[in-house]
Amino acid sequence: MAEFLAFEGISKNFGPVCAVDHVSFAVKQGEIFSLLGPSGCGKTTLLRILGGFEEPDGGRILLNGQDLADLPPNQRKVNTIFQNYALFPHLTVRQNIAFGLQIAKRPAREIRAEVDRMLKLIQMTDQAHKKPHLISGGQKQRVAIARALILKPQILLLDEPLAALDLKLRQRMLIELDQIHDTVGITFIYVTHDQGESMSLSDHIAVMNKGRIEQIGTPSEIYEAPRSSFVAAFIGDTNILEGQVMEIYPQNNYCKLQLDGFPSTVLCYNDNNIKAGTTVYLSVRPEKFHVALEKPETKLHPEHNCVPGKVEDMVYMGAHTKFWVRVGDYRLAITQQHRRFLLDEAAIKWNDPVWVYWHGDDGFMLERYNESDEKINDPTVESAATASKAN
Amino acid sequence: MKTRAERKKTLHEWLITLPPVAWLTLLFVIPTLIVFAITFKPVVPGTGDIGKGWTLTTFRSLGNPNYPAIVWRTLWISVMNTTLCTLLAVPAGYFIARLAPRARSAYMMLVIIPFWTSFLIRIFAWKTLLHPEGPIHGALAWLHLIDPQALLLYNAWTVLLVMVYTHLPFAILPVYAAAEKFDFRLLEAARDLGATPLRAFFAVFLPGIRRGLITAILVVLIPSLGSYVIPDLMGGPSGEMIGNKIAQRTFVDRNLPHASGLSALLTLAVLIPMAGALLLQNKRQPERMMTEDA
Amino acid sequence: MKHSRLPLNVTLFVLVFFYLPILVLVVNSFNAARFGSGWEGFTLMWYRKLLDQPNVWHALSNTLIIATGATLISMVLGTMSAFGLHRYTDALQKYHFFLIYTPLVIPEILMGMSLLLFFIALGMQLGLFTIFLAHVTFCISYVAMVVLGRLQDFDFSLVEAAQDLGATWWTTLWRVLLPLLMPGIISGGLLAFTLSIDDYVITFFVAGPGSSTLPLYIYSMIKHSKDMPIINALSTILLALTATTVFFSQHLTKETRT
Repeated sequence: MAEFLAFEGISKNFGPVCAVDHVSFAVKQGEIFSLLGPSGCGKTTLLRILGGFEEPDGGRILLNGQDLADLPPNQRKVNTIFQNYALFPHLTVRQNIAFGLQIAKRPAREIRAEVDRMLKLIQMTDQAHKKPHLISGGQKQRVAIARALILKPQILLLDEPLAALDLKLRQRMLIELDQIHDTVGITFIYVTHDQGESMSLSDHIAVMNKGRIEQIGTPSEIYEAPRSSFVAAFIGDTNILEGQVMEIYPQNNYCKLQLDGFPSTVLCYNDNNIKAGTTVYLSVRPEKFHVALEKPETKLHPEHNCVPGKVEDMVYMGAHTKFWVRVGDYRLAITQQHRRFLLDEAAIKWNDPVWVYWHGDDGFMLERYNESDEKINDPTVESAATASKAN
Repeated sequence: MKTRAERKKTLHEWLITLPPVAWLTLLFVIPTLIVFAITFKPVVPGTGDIGKGWTLTTFRSLGNPNYPAIVWRTLWISVMNTTLCTLLAVPAGYFIARLAPRARSAYMMLVIIPFWTSFLIRIFAWKTLLHPEGPIHGALAWLHLIDPQALLLYNAWTVLLVMVYTHLPFAILPVYAAAEKFDFRLLEAARDLGATPLRAFFAVFLPGIRRGLITAILVVLIPSLGSYVIPDLMGGPSGEMIGNKIAQRTFVDRNLPHASGLSALLTLAVLIPMAGALLLQNKRQPERMMTEDA
Repeated sequence: MKHSRLPLNVTLFVLVFFYLPILVLVVNSFNAARFGSGWEGFTLMWYRKLLDQPNVWHALSNTLIIATGATLISMVLGTMSAFGLHRYTDALQKYHFFLIYTPLVIPEILMGMSLLLFFIALGMQLGLFTIFLAHVTFCISYVAMVVLGRLQDFDFSLVEAAQDLGATWWTTLWRVLLPLLMPGIISGGLLAFTLSIDDYVITFFVAGPGSSTLPLYIYSMIKHSKDMPIINALSTILLALTATTVFFSQHLTKETRT
């Protein structure tokens, strides 16, 4: 089955720097597909290659089976929403939207009708006569979208479209983009460094780092089953624990791990059939852990793991509390929701000895590990929620 | 090998670059080379035209014993001019750059208008002002600062004064341009760390506008070396500069090869500060930054 | 934070220094006295005498013809130059930049001299045409620098957006680039026009006998010092014209600052 859009072995170098390194992936028709990653990971370059603004040094892109190689940007059925919108300052909103159709030399009546239709879609009919400097950021973005969509492209490329907007506006525009996508139905390829945007909007996400794709999956796959330490640390927060597989239990697909410095072994679901004796890196997200002052004898399943620890730090956030608990060599980051009235319970304080427990299903063993990935989130105390070995 | 796109890009580059480059090569580079070439041609006695063949006599004739004095005068006037212009331009540029945008453009327009008016007229204005029967002469004589018979015109100091007058806008513009881009909060930071205003000015502001300073110095010093009009109108014999000599040899004494030789020497003298400035600019040139997220 | 008054004082001094001679000039153009040491009554006689000079009109028309022609050609060549310098960075452009930058800095006498020798070597007749060629040569650099400055502030994502929407590079040029750059190009053109009208040294070297421009005319009048106030009158008129041009040009640059 031929894919709608396929990248095959795309590479791009800028001088000695490899911006995109043999990237291959496919996009389905009509979906919202994100390229997510930190600055410099190559996501914008890939987008520009698809738009026709950069030529790849290797590989090819196939759209509906057709190689886009020799097509310049003005001949591709692909349109781009630029990060700063790139509205023509000397033209009005109406003229901006009409631009593409005028280039295509459509009859004036058709252009007028289409532009009116678009203005209605973005709800800016009464601002059609204004020049870009007189409208707000959110409005500029809508005009940019209208200007692109009026040409009925097969793919719409969005280059960090919400980066220039403030938080509240960003949240609103996110919803609007989703609605526009539902109305129009074309494929969106969305580039961002903001995982929140990416996860809330996308059907599939490609997480990129240093010119390569680390993982492609749905938002929940990316979040719950990260294949590498980079994906685990870049999306949300996590704890990464190093250990060895002591024994595997093929009958129920679990395995027993000895994690460095932990007082006892723990159980973990063996998704990838890792053999005994292998060194593994276990990723457990902070919300999967629970802390309690008393050992929860009655609450535990056979697959639960329970270890003692000591509270080193905590931050009360109202709906939840962030704890940093020392267990063995690790400083575990734990997020605890307060589902019951907090003041009825004994409060956990600094230096309290506590019990930390989690279900064996809730950890995920990473396929690839890189020590530098643990420092992705700022390595200072406050925001780092990655477990790190005591130095 | 080059891809089709790369060849197209090169073609576009040549299409757009060739006309101006061709014009300037033909009418700027080649004439300059000709000046150097003619330095080695003999003069036709009588008409002063360029003779046939090649010779070193013209070149040797440049060792005229009168020249060193003129060269020296040209040098010190030019350097003094540059120094004074810079000394005035820096505080002015600093002041204007700190104003609110509307005041800034008003002041800059005031600075620019004289620059757009006729150069000759501005020099002529001084001739009127400094005339023996003019107001300044009268005032100074009345104050007993000068001898009533003395001439304010026709000496090297007058030349210097008028040169500063005409070159000052050229110094202010680049200094202002650099000062406008300067982040003045750096000075506050320096003060916060204990520096006096003067110290902050020298240690933080001046280095911060370095490129503007270099441009200002260049744009005043080099044309000064070749000044012709001001010494001609205001200098008299004791204010003569190299430019005058070149013109004199071309039109009055009519010896084209000799004048050509003088021009060649002046060209060399001018290329040295230029090369120096270019080296200074290039030392700090950052690599072309790649766009974020390349 | 206490600020020194020095910068303000220096700036005021500079402005007074700039305008005082000009003011004296304008005032004296209406002054019946010959040398301006005292006011002898308001008069327009110098203006009348100016209008009686036949050579003035001839010189003025030459000046305007040359200036217009030189401005138009240098606007085209200068804009092309700016595009090339902005877009490309290879060795050709390094040479190109040297060609543009140097005429701005070198003394005019060197350019005048070299062009004179060039024309003589080619056996060309010195006259209005050689003056025209010389003017284009130094004007290109000014237009190029002004337009280059505009290009550096130009948002090139607009060009990509136009291509993205289907425009060829030709359409993009005419519908996006040039309309948005036009104020800068005109600004450069105005600068070139003023410089051409005002040029003395280079013109002096390459003008033939009989071809006179306004600066040449003014210069000879200054040198021969008779009826100096007529020059005052001429200067005042030119000042008024220039001031108007400057206002107009600044207005152009302000309009686009949206």
